[in-house]
Amino acid sequence: MSLNARKTSWNPSHPKFYFPVILVAFLCALPLLPQKSFYQDLIVMIFFWGTLAAAWNLVGGFAGQISLGHTAFFGIGAYTSTLLWLNFGISPWLGMLAGAGLAILVAVGIGAPCFRLKSHFFALATIAFAEVLHLLASYWRGLTQGGVGLLISFKPAIGNFMFRSKIPYAYVALGLMLLIILVSYIIRNSRFGFYLVSLREDQDAAESLGVKTSRCKLIALIISVFFTAVSGTFYAQYLLFIDPATVFSLPLSIELALLSIIGGLGTVIGPILGAFVLIPLDVLLRGWLGGISAGLNFIVYGVALVVAVMYFPRGIAGWLRARYEPFIMALPGSKQPVASEGAVAPAPVPSGATDPGREWTGSPLFRVESLNKHFGGLAAVRDVSFDIKKGEILGLIGPNGAGKTTIFNLITGFLAPDSGRVEFKGEEISGLRPPHKVCIKYIGRTFQLVKPFSNMTVLENVMVGAFSRVRSAGAARKEATRVLDFIGLLKYRDSLASSLTIADRKRLELGKALATKPELLLLDEVVAGLNPRETEEIIKIIKGVSGQGITLFIIEHVMKAIMTLSHRIIVLHHGEKIAEGTPEAISRDRRVIEAYLGEEYLA
Amino acid sequence: MSTTVIQLIINGLLLGGIYALISIGLTLIFGVVEIINFAHGEFLMLSMYGSYWLFQLYGVDPYVSLLMVIPTFFLIGWAVQRIIIQPIIDAPPLNQIFATVGVSLVLQNVALFLWKADYRTVRTAYSGLSLKTAGLMISFPRLVAFFLALALIAGLLTFLKRTYTGKAIRAIAQERRAAMLMGIDINRMYKVAFGIGIACVGAAGAMLIPIYYTFPTVGGLFVLIAFVVVILGGYNSLIGALVGGLIIGVVEAFSGFFLSPHLKEAVYFVIFILILLFRPTGLFGRG
Repeated sequence: MSLNARKTSWNPSHPKFYFPVILVAFLCALPLLPQKSFYQDLIVMIFFWGTLAAAWNLVGGFAGQISLGHTAFFGIGAYTSTLLWLNFGISPWLGMLAGAGLAILVAVGIGAPCFRLKSHFFALATIAFAEVLHLLASYWRGLTQGGVGLLISFKPAIGNFMFRSKIPYAYVALGLMLLIILVSYIIRNSRFGFYLVSLREDQDAAESLGVKTSRCKLIALIISVFFTAVSGTFYAQYLLFIDPATVFSLPLSIELALLSIIGGLGTVIGPILGAFVLIPLDVLLRGWLGGISAGLNFIVYGVALVVAVMYFPRGIAGWLRARYEPFIMALPGSKQPVASEGAVAPAPVPSGATDPGREWTGSPLFRVESLNKHFGGLAAVRDVSFDIKKGEILGLIGPNGAGKTTIFNLITGFLAPDSGRVEFKGEEISGLRPPHKVCIKYIGRTFQLVKPFSNMTVLENVMVGAFSRVRSAGAARKEATRVLDFIGLLKYRDSLASSLTIADRKRLELGKALATKPELLLLDEVVAGLNPRETEEIIKIIKGVSGQGITLFIIEHVMKAIMTLSHRIIVLHHGEKIAEGTPEAISRDRRVIEAYLGEEYLA
Repeated sequence: MSTTVIQLIINGLLLGGIYALISIGLTLIFGVVEIINFAHGEFLMLSMYGSYWLFQLYGVDPYVSLLMVIPTFFLIGWAVQRIIIQPIIDAPPLNQIFATVGVSLVLQNVALFLWKADYRTVRTAYSGLSLKTAGLMISFPRLVAFFLALALIAGLLTFLKRTYTGKAIRAIAQERRAAMLMGIDINRMYKVAFGIGIACVGAAGAMLIPIYYTFPTVGGLFVLIAFVVVILGGYNSLIGALVGGLIIGVVEAFSGFFLSPHLKEAVYFVIFILILLFRPTGLFGRG
């Protein structure tokens, strides 16, 4: 999913700009075209479902949280405005906002805690929660008249949100649809959009780059719920009848997701395309096959769903993407110079190599005192204390299972320590969580098993890191380009991260963390799995990073790498620090040899 | 303890046995193949119809039909795994969810198309029979269903523990890659697991038709209960599915009696949400 990392300057005579305008103009004219009420109704339904699907897409597509309970918010919107109108005569326009407000409250209160759950479970929880609301609406007769439903008497007037003709309804629905398209478009090209996609791709990696994942999901949910609830009110005012079975219906939730999937999940235009294709198809099938026998149209529908999900996961938008560019370029006005990228500032040449083996002098930057972590009966980290001086490269070695990555996780907010004190630049940060807070404080990390954002380009991956320090996409792009140049991945800037080799992925991992401008950078086995030439190259880069003044804390098993890089090394064994000193001293330490290095290392 | 309470407990347990059988199929599929089969209820519906028609057309007693239903549904599960699930085994969860949702939609509407929406049930000579003892009434079909379900579950657990295939399946559920490295044919085992899962739910259907009605959307009711049971028991624990099924059966019996019959559904959804939020591994699940 391209996030439009390239920018072009505003130029109204280029088809890139005027074609979408033409499309919007066409949409505005559409409601006026048909004469027959049947087609007018179809248009209203397309705009209505398009809005709903685009709203769902913010949560399900962009953020990757598969909600199958959105009907809950639809129903809240529909019932709130209707009950306010029937009982108190409050205009449905106001009731619409009240319904949206209530739906948002419910979403934040109940929906948000469910974000902790993994995909399948989140989907189940949303189904359950929508069902509870369905049951409430069905059986709380005093409030909702129960299964009988609510009927709104027809009193057409603008203030009553009721019209004689279908055309005003179509324009209201169109207005909502254009609004959500605009909102989706703005989000997609903004920092928020990058953050949503990154947390969808890999939540832990996103957190480590400063993305406030919970907050982002919540904001996406709130915007989505707003439009869903408003659509619920629209539905009530259009049909003038609602009942629990229709507005709190699981098939409705599924339909929303279906439109987005078939249209193109996580794209701005996908849900709209899905509505334009599937709604007429549904009406046609119903008329054509439903007449023959009940259920036949759904059989075709269901088969289409299975086939689409199996063979066309990118949906219509995915198919269209490759054809859109050439189409635009074939239109008049396309042969114009398009603004080029601003010049990229050359990457600073890394200053002199580090001088390992000699004790580093400098003020202490980072201190750990008596850090402890138990998993049940297992002491993973036992009373570990050390400090790191500013500008130093500290190595951490030890057998597998010694607790090295656990220490990283304890420091960077992925695990909570049982006890102990962690201090950074004089400030206590013991147990600081969640991980994005640690990143914000200028401590960065990489992961042992690299976590690239597979469906984003290399440049976009690094931009996610850059966004932790800048707000605008332009500034993030510039900074990301500079970092890519420094680590030697500039030539891959527009390739998808999933297409990189393991060596380049390791570099990308480093680049993402570097873009967050850390003062202390934790590297977890960056060299693992690289061949000798790749190892040399990445060691050069790491030396360059240190040359920029960044303090490094490195876990490594490859002795050549860690011995040449580190000023000092600490050795961990069974969760305890068993040795500390220069690489030279460590390589001769009896305990370290027995625990880890082996006799051959002495030779 | 008053007779009413004991009666409720017994009713609950008897029904719970069947819930356990349905849920064990779901747990097996989820634990091994790692997908949530949203169409699980529709297979139940199909087997209920299957037993119904076997009885109507050929006079085959539902419990006897088990002999045919179990192997047939095993093959159906095998086929579904091969044709639909296998190609998308590595796809994102969203795609997998919607594949089974699509299957569910198709099956429901095929049933609607073929057999219409009428409610159907099977009335055998013993349908209305019940044992009366100590002031309690125990419905005979439910009792038979309970013991058959337990027998099948016991058989399944033994199979998993004693046979190579069973151990292979358990290995995959615990650590997929290591199992592959040990030479286990993953795709074949997935088909077996899915087949067994559907066979379980098929058996449950044959046992349910003398007790319940079937109609095209009956699956929806039971599958939601099955989800609650699976989550309550622990999504990767078969014992959990058994215990969870019995517990939910009893909870349903009590809430149906003391609260309104409508609200009993609300009770298990609330349980469901609470477990997901506070103890997602359920009673017996491993983290």
